Amino acid sequence: MSEQSLNAPGQPKRRLFVEIFLGAGVAASLASFLYPVLRYIFPPETAEATSDTVLAGRVGDLKPNTGKIFRFGSRPALLILTPDGQYSAISAVCTHLNCTVQYRSDLRSVWCACHNGMYTPDGRNISGPPPRPLDKYDVFLKGEEIYVRRQGNA
Amino acid sequence: MVCRGAKNALIMVALSCCLFLLAAPGLPAQAKNSCINCHGLFDPPLGINAEEFAGSIHAQKGLLCTSCHGGDSSSDDMTQAMGKAAGFRGHIERAQIPALCGKCHSDAAYMRGFNPSVRTDQLSQYQTSVHGKMLAKGNSHVAVCIDCHTTHNIHPPNDPRSSVYPANVARTCARCHANAEYMKDYKIPTNQFALYSTSVHHEALAVRGDLSAPTCSTCHGSHGAAPPGVASVERVCSTCHVFQQQLFDSGPHKAAFGAMGFPGCITCHSNHAIQHPSDGSIGTGNTAFCVRCHVEGDAGYTAAAGMHAGLVKLDGEIQRSEEILKRAQVSGVEVGQTAMALTEAQDDLTKARVAIHSARPDAVDQNIQAGLKVTDKTWQAGLAAMKELKYRRQGLVASIVAIVLVLIALAFLIRKIEAPKPGETK
Repeated sequence: MSEQSLNAPGQPKRRLFVEIFLGAGVAASLASFLYPVLRYIFPPETAEATSDTVLAGRVGDLKPNTGKIFRFGSRPALLILTPDGQYSAISAVCTHLNCTVQYRSDLRSVWCACHNGMYTPDGRNISGPPPRPLDKYDVFLKGEEIYVRRQGNA
Repeated sequence: MVCRGAKNALIMVALSCCLFLLAAPGLPAQAKNSCINCHGLFDPPLGINAEEFAGSIHAQKGLLCTSCHGGDSSSDDMTQAMGKAAGFRGHIERAQIPALCGKCHSDAAYMRGFNPSVRTDQLSQYQTSVHGKMLAKGNSHVAVCIDCHTTHNIHPPNDPRSSVYPANVARTCARCHANAEYMKDYKIPTNQFALYSTSVHHEALAVRGDLSAPTCSTCHGSHGAAPPGVASVERVCSTCHVFQQQLFDSGPHKAAFGAMGFPGCITCHSNHAIQHPSDGSIGTGNTAFCVRCHVEGDAGYTAAAGMHAGLVKLDGEIQRSEEILKRAQVSGVEVGQTAMALTEAQDDLTKARVAIHSARPDAVDQNIQAGLKVTDKTWQAGLAAMKELKYRRQGLVASIVAIVLVLIALAFLIRKIEAPKPGETK
């Protein structure tokens, strides 16, 4: 009797606390479940998600004084092995009208077929209409693999 | 002792002379320039801005007032400093200026001392220019060296303060050429600067800051300034627009323009007010260059319409693919490979726009067809991406429905468990 009289006033309070606690937990769980669903159904108008580092090729893929196009996000990029054995990675999107540039072994330069724009193998615009240099990327080796990274993301 | 002292003094003088000669061709920068003492205080035309002159390339290289005007700037005595004996010339007639500047600037051996690769052909070029020829005929109303380079504030052309810095050249030429009153005797237009200011070349140079973009002297020459002339317009433009010239030469317009006495390039693009061309520049629309000569029914008219249609079609297809790929991309479907493939179609469109200069529909169509092949694939890939997106969303809806049903069932179950059993009191 004495025990009941002690607990009786506290019981409804404790139950209310448990109900609020459980209700909030369920609501939070539902929100965390629905939020990504809603984000998926109504995606934000963001720019493309770009990776900062990509595998551009393997050592031995390129002979000196050649280049190859690889994909960096959804844009082409150019990996060049210079005649003196240095790797150079640059954007392959011409800064004039966005054509894809290529490495010309005969000119030892990067060349755009659209308007005869010319760049050095490290992307400096040297002739023709390109108004500015090509974006330059960092190149690093991991074993036999050649990785290319956006500058400033080391 | 006196004799030894005199000998030492002579040796010192001789050594000083040797050092002076070694320091040639410029005079020492600290040489006394007494002219400034008075002329730095006068108002123009006798006065000069001493600070400006001190910053000029000539003063920087150690030249003094006397280098051009003669006289003796080491003397504070006016009669000696500006005396005939010291070779004082004072005011220099305009007609004599090119020869005076040329005295140093055409002397390769002298100029090499300042800059081993500096050009020394300015005077000979000037003599071939319209300005130089008119001056030789006695007309001093034409540009001489100082009109473009200024007199006392001369800077090298790569110095942004220079009146002949690429971004300042047009304004320098316009000082005379845009002045209708000054130019009234020459019967040439004075709107070139106004027209050039609206052009794509001016935008590249003045707005985008591309110092390699053309200004007046790029097409007309600087010291040898003259209109390019009908025959050489194409060669002038092709110093930058290489492919366009090669294509133009390979097409039917070359001979046709030649026969009619039309210059290349500017017949369609104009000269000073060159605008960025659009796909509407070719074809049969209001903005098309072609309809200035071609009329409905002739072969050129049909060809122009066909080439325009090709460009518009490929451009439309590229935009259609871009739009669907963007929608897929923002919805989380990976389309990077396809987006990159689409850049090939953009290349083909750009090449087709260049191929227009051949005026040959087959050359343009070759690029258009290559581009359309790409856009066909990218459009199909875009459709597939959207199908994939739809499939994923349907799966999501199905799983949400299943989860919600489970939750409802759980809720009922909990209620049932918690409900008081028959006969049980609360």
